Amino acid sequence: MLARIREHLAASAPFDRVHHEASAKHEVGPSGQSIEHSNDISLIGLFCEALEAVNGKCTIVADEAEATLSLKQVIDLNKLNRIAVSESPVVDRLMRQIDAANAEVLSNVEPAVLFECDAGITSAQWAIAETGTLVLESKSERHRLVSLVPPVHIAILEAGRIRRTMAEVLEAVNQSGELSRTVTFITGPSRTSDIELTLAIGVHGPAKLHVIVIDDVKQTV
Amino acid sequence: MNLQKQTTEVPVPQGTTETFDENARRALVDPQLRTALRKLTVTFGERRAQAIASVDDWEGLRERARAIKDETLAHLDKYLADFADKAERAGAQIHWADDGKDVCQLIIRLLQERNAKRVVKSKSMATEEIHLNAALEAAGITPVETDLGEWIIQLAHETPSHIVVPAIHKSKKQIADLFVEKLGIEPTDDVDRLTSAARRILRQRFAEADAGISGVNFGVAETGSILILENEGNIRLTTSLPKIHIALMGIEKVIPRFADLDVFLKLLPRSGTGQRLTAYQSIITGTKKNPGDEGPEEVHIILMDNGRSRMLAHPVTRQSLACIRCGACLNACPVYQQIGGHAYGSVYPGPIGAVITPQLIGIGKAAQLPYASSLCGACREVCPVKIDIPELLLHLRAQIAEGTPSTSAPMKRKVLESLAFRLYAFAWSRPVLYELGGRILRLCQGPMVRNGRIGKVGKIMSKLLPPLGAWTAWRDARPLAPRSFREMWRDRPVP
Repeated sequence: MLARIREHLAASAPFDRVHHEASAKHEVGPSGQSIEHSNDISLIGLFCEALEAVNGKCTIVADEAEATLSLKQVIDLNKLNRIAVSESPVVDRLMRQIDAANAEVLSNVEPAVLFECDAGITSAQWAIAETGTLVLESKSERHRLVSLVPPVHIAILEAGRIRRTMAEVLEAVNQSGELSRTVTFITGPSRTSDIELTLAIGVHGPAKLHVIVIDDVKQTV
Repeated sequence: MNLQKQTTEVPVPQGTTETFDENARRALVDPQLRTALRKLTVTFGERRAQAIASVDDWEGLRERARAIKDETLAHLDKYLADFADKAERAGAQIHWADDGKDVCQLIIRLLQERNAKRVVKSKSMATEEIHLNAALEAAGITPVETDLGEWIIQLAHETPSHIVVPAIHKSKKQIADLFVEKLGIEPTDDVDRLTSAARRILRQRFAEADAGISGVNFGVAETGSILILENEGNIRLTTSLPKIHIALMGIEKVIPRFADLDVFLKLLPRSGTGQRLTAYQSIITGTKKNPGDEGPEEVHIILMDNGRSRMLAHPVTRQSLACIRCGACLNACPVYQQIGGHAYGSVYPGPIGAVITPQLIGIGKAAQLPYASSLCGACREVCPVKIDIPELLLHLRAQIAEGTPSTSAPMKRKVLESLAFRLYAFAWSRPVLYELGGRILRLCQGPMVRNGRIGKVGKIMSKLLPPLGAWTAWRDARPLAPRSFREMWRDRPVP
């Protein structure tokens, strides 16, 4: 097939010379050169605003103790009885603090069991403030099904992981050839407009997305 | 529900590329379709306008995207080889397929060798293009479409009428009736209830699936990654749950660098659905690293030509391969707005369909499609990768007029037409003849003008000179002004 491609490109050469658009230079510099790295605290506000605009929920807490309280509230409020968790260290620390008398907490869950769970809890390795997007890397935690199959997804995000733009995050996940086998970008709950363009939330993925942002940046200010 | 039984029914005929005129006429008298199209084009038009306002330099972004695509296509052999190499190193299996038949045979073989009978599919225009579902069914494998819109049209045995929202031609009522009939749900007109019925039933399909088939939005040569965008989550399920993932990728989907994704992720959702970003993007690079990791055991990526590589052979046709399948040109097109997607009789409708279908299936089989346009240029204005669709339409019309063996017009007509245009060019490029011609025409039109239009008499005249009939059969010609601009200019008051 590559030989055929070369043959067709060669056939085009005489036309390329007379065609105005093709005469434009083909060398394009790498994308993302104008990336500005920012650690602005206002990124948290921007992130939450963008997330809520796409039907996500966002809670900002000061530290892990507050995060535990907030997490417990979400669990109680949504009457979550069966909860699947990823192996993320921060999720593990928070769940240890929660008196889970009423809730069954499962880690390392088989897919078949996940379909019976009320919620999945993961962390997120990065976030994009401009779009309210969570970015999860498979090398950090097994997030693919826990964040997808149960009807509620709760994500714990450290504020220091928020970047302003997609370009910054793309650069971060591909640093020094350490690209995860799967990188998942999540912007709000699952949605569809396939029936008369009417928005319906929670068609195949979670109907609720709750993000708890631990404002660890503020602590150091 | 018995999908096996239903899918053996013959699909409802929706017209072919060769019956475009009839299809379009049928669509024009379908009031429900016209209501749906009005809602679609107005809503998507407004959402797109809002979404692109959130980008600082939309024009610059379009320029950049096009430059990236041009660079890729000029060196497509190199970037595809790089992509294949990197993807294989990460554990994916790469297959090269010359045409749709090759792809279908390959997928059937992959599935049969692994005894994979239950197959879930996410939305992929490339699989529609090669009629993969029909081929799989003929081999005894029933794939289940899992995108809500695609699933609806699979249940109804129809074809997509839009690249992004495939079931847009169906009303809520029709979908509710379909679900009552095929799935046995309680009658409802509530979209949330219809959606949750789909969720409930399709979850069973996901849970038991042996293999998942998806498309690809972008393939990154630098890393061997594929990126797929969606809103529903069915693509994530299709590519995460089953043991085998098969991704079908047109060879034009490759881009050079990982960082280039930023450009296309800004353009595609805004142009397609008017979102800043769709709910999910999955970047998949090869297979899982460790046995304990999540995801399929095998990832197969099929690189499909199917008529694409020959578009490289001319700079005008080559730009067809820059398309990222956003559907913005459909929504903006005054022809699509009136007749919808099925009238085109092809998998790819609208302006982009009118240019890629004849190139994919042969211009003789779709010779009406390049004429399904008023050349207004709205498609070019909205295209996120700046494809000059009107230029492509004219290029294809020229091929048809010049006559390939399959489209050749009668020799006599060709000679006369060519003679007429030579005369026209000769006269109209000489000022004296041009003015004289104008005077003669003004004299001749005198008796035909009624209420400022050349009406009935003009139609009679056109019968005497048949080629003019094509012009005046559907519209009144405007008469020439009593005085030409040149005359007015000569007689202008001198200050």
